[in-house]
Amino acid sequence: MDLTLLLQGILSGILASGLYALVSVGLALAIGVIGIVNFAHGEFFMVGAFLAYQLFISFGFDPVLSLFFVAPALFILGALIYRSSIQFVLKAPELNQMLLTFGIGIILQNLALVIWGGDPRSISNVPYRSIGYQVGGVSIGLVPLASFLISIFIVAGLYFVLLKTPLGRAMRAVAQNRTGASLVGLEVNRIYLLAFALSAALAGLGGVMIAVIQSPTPVVGFAFTLKAFAIVVLAGLGNIRGILGASLLVALAESLVATLVPDGDSLRNAVFFAIIFVVLIVRSRRQA
Amino acid sequence: MKLRMNLVLLALAAVLLFFLPDLLKLFFDKASVSYLSLLINATSLAILALSWDILARTGQLSLAHAAFFGAGAYSTAILVKQTDVSLWLGLPLAALSAVLLALLLGSVTLQLRGIYFAIATLSFAEVLKAVIQKLPSSLAGGAAGINVEPLFRPQFIAGEMERWEIAFLRNESYFLLYAGLLLATIVLSLLIESSSLSYAFSAIRTNEEVAAVMGVKAARFKLLAFVLSSMPVGILGAIQAHRIGSVSPDETFNVGTTVLALVTPIFGGLYTSLGPILGALGLASIEEFLRRTFSEGYLIGYGIVLVLSILFMPKGIMGLLRSLRKAQRESL
Amino acid sequence: MKKAAILLASLILSISLAQVKIGILSPLTGGAAGTGQAQKAGFELALEEINAAGGVLGEPLEILIEDTQANSDVALAAFEKLMTEDEVEFIGGGFSSGVTLGLIESFKTFQPVVSWIGGAVSGVGIDGFDGIEELVGEEPWFFHVHPWDYQNTAAANAFVASTGVGSVALLHEDSAFGGPGAATSERVIEEQGIDVVLNEAFKSTLTGGTGDFRAAISKAAASNADLLYWIGYDSDVVPMTSQIRELNFTPNYIFGTPPGWPSDYTEAPEAECVAGLIGFLPSLPTPEAKAFADAYEAMHGAAPDNYAAALAYAQLWSYADAINAAGSTDQAAVIEQLESLSFKSPMGEWSFGQSEISPHQGFGSEMWLVFQYQNGVREIVWPEDKATAPLASCN
Repeated sequence: MDLTLLLQGILSGILASGLYALVSVGLALAIGVIGIVNFAHGEFFMVGAFLAYQLFISFGFDPVLSLFFVAPALFILGALIYRSSIQFVLKAPELNQMLLTFGIGIILQNLALVIWGGDPRSISNVPYRSIGYQVGGVSIGLVPLASFLISIFIVAGLYFVLLKTPLGRAMRAVAQNRTGASLVGLEVNRIYLLAFALSAALAGLGGVMIAVIQSPTPVVGFAFTLKAFAIVVLAGLGNIRGILGASLLVALAESLVATLVPDGDSLRNAVFFAIIFVVLIVRSRRQA
Repeated sequence: MKLRMNLVLLALAAVLLFFLPDLLKLFFDKASVSYLSLLINATSLAILALSWDILARTGQLSLAHAAFFGAGAYSTAILVKQTDVSLWLGLPLAALSAVLLALLLGSVTLQLRGIYFAIATLSFAEVLKAVIQKLPSSLAGGAAGINVEPLFRPQFIAGEMERWEIAFLRNESYFLLYAGLLLATIVLSLLIESSSLSYAFSAIRTNEEVAAVMGVKAARFKLLAFVLSSMPVGILGAIQAHRIGSVSPDETFNVGTTVLALVTPIFGGLYTSLGPILGALGLASIEEFLRRTFSEGYLIGYGIVLVLSILFMPKGIMGLLRSLRKAQRESL
Repeated sequence: MKKAAILLASLILSISLAQVKIGILSPLTGGAAGTGQAQKAGFELALEEINAAGGVLGEPLEILIEDTQANSDVALAAFEKLMTEDEVEFIGGGFSSGVTLGLIESFKTFQPVVSWIGGAVSGVGIDGFDGIEELVGEEPWFFHVHPWDYQNTAAANAFVASTGVGSVALLHEDSAFGGPGAATSERVIEEQGIDVVLNEAFKSTLTGGTGDFRAAISKAAASNADLLYWIGYDSDVVPMTSQIRELNFTPNYIFGTPPGWPSDYTEAPEAECVAGLIGFLPSLPTPEAKAFADAYEAMHGAAPDNYAAALAYAQLWSYADAINAAGSTDQAAVIEQLESLSFKSPMGEWSFGQSEISPHQGFGSEMWLVFQYQNGVREIVWPEDKATAPLASCN
């Protein structure tokens, strides 16, 4: 085995964890604070990706600039969806929330199909998409590096908000004890609204990133959502900080297997889900 | 007592289902072929939904039903390809492989609950799909998959019948097979409902710790539910493989199967025998109606129906029926 | 007596004036919706032109498009609806080999005329697996428009050989599209005396992957191959080509064979020097191509980027011409015309001929072009007689 190849594999794995963390953090917020299993989260990515694409087509906006429009737009979309439907199922069983958000996902996906069609699109001019810095034979991709740093920044920021600000304290309070929190006069519904909208805005961020590295299509969010759910669960519900570690574990394992094994890149999903499965089982046995 | 009445009703339904293809042919002539095709798809959805619900009664939310479906389909396909035994032997083999898989998965995931259980089962299904794809292609067909012989191939007799009548005979045979599997699944579900199992299941669902204090051995019941839930889905996968003519990793281990298994019983009404069936009939007819009404974007309407249904009938079709009956009783 | 004559006359009239309906099966929603929507757009354009030119048998032609969702159960119910409720005698459209395999039993039951665009898995060359050409290729009522998998491979490999490279690194997606394709390609390329130094699978974004191909590309870079040949889907184009640059892999040629290329990709910086196999390009220097591209743009407000549109257009015109030439919808007569006529298409004149098994194969390996992105334009670089520019090295 070529040592440079191995180093490249390790490096690519570490950096790839950034994207995983980025797509998982919003979902972690929705599940952790509101306790809602949002099956439409992947469609938020998709909408974010298409909005970034549209802003580029219509106004020539670079995706970095689009972030400042897409995130607020998704925040508003999230708030609207919360007000018009989610808030009515908060006390309903988890399964009802799943059906509701699944329905919302179908609506968004097929609206996108009508608006943008089914063929993959691409933001043609992203000058930094292909940049890699060559250091001692290995390449450090600018986009993976940036998403790695952004994800640390966002997770840290969210962690800080949850821990240090009144809003965050309120969020943690309602997350821990729904009835108790409403008794002490917190406006539970408003906090949920904020948390859900924020979760959608973070998904919008992930969506812009997906639009940079891939092609927006109506089904682009699906693969990321499956993995994001698994990462959130691996980190443990409500454990925002744990997202980074969980993402690093699976991304690094994926990249190492992909590098060391023939046809390894085709085993990425198998490795990813095998790790999730084994860790969940082992952890449950140890606790029992 | 209630079980006996339900079984009598079921026997009546069986008689009706048996004659349904011929009734359709009598009234709709060749269009009966198309209607039977739609009914087969709805029945298949009902089997999937009711099986999933059986496990859900213990509070376990499975995202592995595509794996049971796939295990049944693949074990049949491999048997048919590698041996000359009767095609029908594939069905019990499919049931067996789904059950073995459920025992394996069920016993290692016993301590997991809620979304942890859901994601563990989803991960298992994804890994299994990858393993099947990487098996030697002489055994499992690799990425291309395996051809599967049809169970029914009615012969055309020139001059005595029209071409569509062969299609009718084939769809009739498949429909009766699917309907038979559905009836068997209903009997299974009714037996569970009327036995002490149903108390154990709902005790575990409501509160596993309390159930344990009351002497319910949660682990054993959860495993039993898992096994009972997987069996019909395995057989369904096998029948479907024969009807569709092939299996392949991407089509047979489709996450979509898992999602439909979960969505349909919620729409119809959870933890009942009738709810998942009504859910399947309801969703299949709504989708077909929208498809025939709107040429563009009909799935948007489908999504809207799902959203409205959960907002206005949170307990599914069954909940709606119950409140209608209650209102009727009160008005009398 | 007079009454009977009138009755007979009106009966004959109603038969001859009966509107011809063609049933179309296409994946309008779901993961393959891009191709399905492109087919639909191509059909709509052909339909408008056919009816403007007098229709079929003197009446406007009608098409009934059913969505298959690229799902076998749905497709089967939709096909049986077309046959028994709408009573069509001709079937068109068609995509996805899995869906096609699921329809074959019912095709053989009803035996309408089936002209089928997609479903390229012939089965030829795969031991122990019966593909579509092996299962229905010989049926007199079955016509196949799109080239078979081995015809695609033959074209791609002829191009690879024409570059004169000494070594090739082959990256392929791992499902039913790329898996068998890569196995055949490796054999054929080696037979031409070119080294295949790497044959490595990756997970496509279309089949559940998240678009990280870095390990495979790094291995290809380490192999020092002259040409990188990748087999994947449309949505893999952007991650594949940008990661090749990011990892500083600089082979002389980068050649891909996805079914389509993302719209707008032409202007992307990572597109420069990337070559690809394609069935139709609006810039093809023929009057038919230009007329089609212009009319398509006028009707749909966008260029026909997905070549499924051109194939759908060609398919519907072949039906219209054959039925008109037959003078009736009589199956044997229409089949005879489909077999003997040649038809118009954006790719030029075409007709059905012999492939490995099927006597009714539409486009073969000669349909394929190789283009290369050169300074923001897609230049045709292969085959030589259609080339608009010479192939340029990436270095």
